[in-house]
Amino acid sequence: MKKWVWLGLCLFSVYAQAEDKKIRVFAAASLTDVMNVLVKQYSQQAGVQVLPVYGGSGTLAKQLEQGAPGDLFISADEKWMQYLQDKQLVQVSTIKPWLGNRLVMITPQNKPLTIKAEGATDIDQQALGYWCTGDTLSVPVGIYAKQSLTSLGWWEKLKKRLVSTQDVRATLSLVERDECDVGIVYASDAQASHKVKVAGEFAESSHVPIVYPMALLPQATAETNAFYRYLQSAETRKLLISFGFKPLFND
Amino acid sequence: MWALSPAELAVVLLSLKVAACCVLVLLLPAIAMAWLLARKQFWGYAVLDALVHLPMVLPPVVLGYMLLIMLGRRGWVGSWLYEQFHLQLTFHWWGAVIASAVMAFPLMVRAIRQALLQVNPLLEQAAQTLGASPVRTFFTITLPLSYHGVLTGGILAFSRSLGEFGATITFAGNLEGETRTLPLAIYSLTQSPEGDAAALRLVILSVLVSVAALLISQWLERRLLRSQR
Repeated sequence: MKKWVWLGLCLFSVYAQAEDKKIRVFAAASLTDVMNVLVKQYSQQAGVQVLPVYGGSGTLAKQLEQGAPGDLFISADEKWMQYLQDKQLVQVSTIKPWLGNRLVMITPQNKPLTIKAEGATDIDQQALGYWCTGDTLSVPVGIYAKQSLTSLGWWEKLKKRLVSTQDVRATLSLVERDECDVGIVYASDAQASHKVKVAGEFAESSHVPIVYPMALLPQATAETNAFYRYLQSAETRKLLISFGFKPLFND
Repeated sequence: MWALSPAELAVVLLSLKVAACCVLVLLLPAIAMAWLLARKQFWGYAVLDALVHLPMVLPPVVLGYMLLIMLGRRGWVGSWLYEQFHLQLTFHWWGAVIASAVMAFPLMVRAIRQALLQVNPLLEQAAQTLGASPVRTFFTITLPLSYHGVLTGGILAFSRSLGEFGATITFAGNLEGETRTLPLAIYSLTQSPEGDAAALRLVILSVLVSVAALLISQWLERRLLRSQR
């Protein structure tokens, strides 16, 4: 008899936890640092627990598709937002372009290079060794990178030594570790690490504009809505800029 | 529609190459370790036994990360390899072999040790009273009597290597044509918006490859049993 009481208590505590009010934010990996700060600030200010989940935008979108409990989704490209929109898994009226970013090449700090992102650059001459970026089929940074490399005519040459990572942060850490000679990441990532140096920047015309759209998911509550508005407020603008992002919202 | 595309074929061949090399690389160390653990008593036995089994209980990512720290271009061993031989194991298919070999080592050792323990010590003693050296006894009596253990161990290691994901992606990375084995290719496809159908093809393919490996191993085992009788 006693056993059953214990079991019941255990189960109850599991349910009780599930009932707990938390805002779950599914955010692209490149937002890790800035979102951690935003979440901390907001939690203290509003007294609500915000739980960030970071990963490649595609990983997150597929998790949400399979029913992962999320309230707010922030993708690093419009493709993955469109993917969830097509499946009617986001509140369409809440889709907003939130941030912009730039695409850069980085090297380990002790092996600085200058690579001009021009068609005339002989990439086999200038930067031998492995190049890392997100998976070019699914991870936004990789998708942008492939567009830029193709428009510069570097794609065919680099394809053989291009390593795919599961998200942009994995690329950053491989370059920090000097496993990769060159990495293609966002300007904000390059700024976040002091172990890497920027080698060059891709022209914004060489890839589709880098936009981080965000949207509320169907189960989002009023608390989530408040956080969603907070992210687009004058308060956060300065912080976002200091982390290397370009706010696209009007506050 | 059912024909394999060149890219799919390349993935399968790479997986088979990595798995076969994994078994070959492990064969001697696994037999030596199994013999040591089956036949010898020494100070630190329990520690060594635990160390050998560690890959079975540790998360593969942890092992991949340890390999990266040790054998990466900045690692203790890796930096030396790079300076001396200009050899970088990360993003090289040998890196994938090493990652899966570490994961498969305990499986192979366990299978061989079990077989060694079943060899009747009287047979070995008999050989030695007839003048055979311990080395000769091992190669003509002990090892032939434990072939089934070596075979089972090899099959386990081969299968483990075919399925290895965590340590490989952490240490050897995901480089098409070099370290992107079947599980990594499937993972990459499941992440992409239009990849579901292509992923499914590879899933079916990996089931077929595994079933074929199992059937071949059963056939080998039966042949071995017959030849021993």
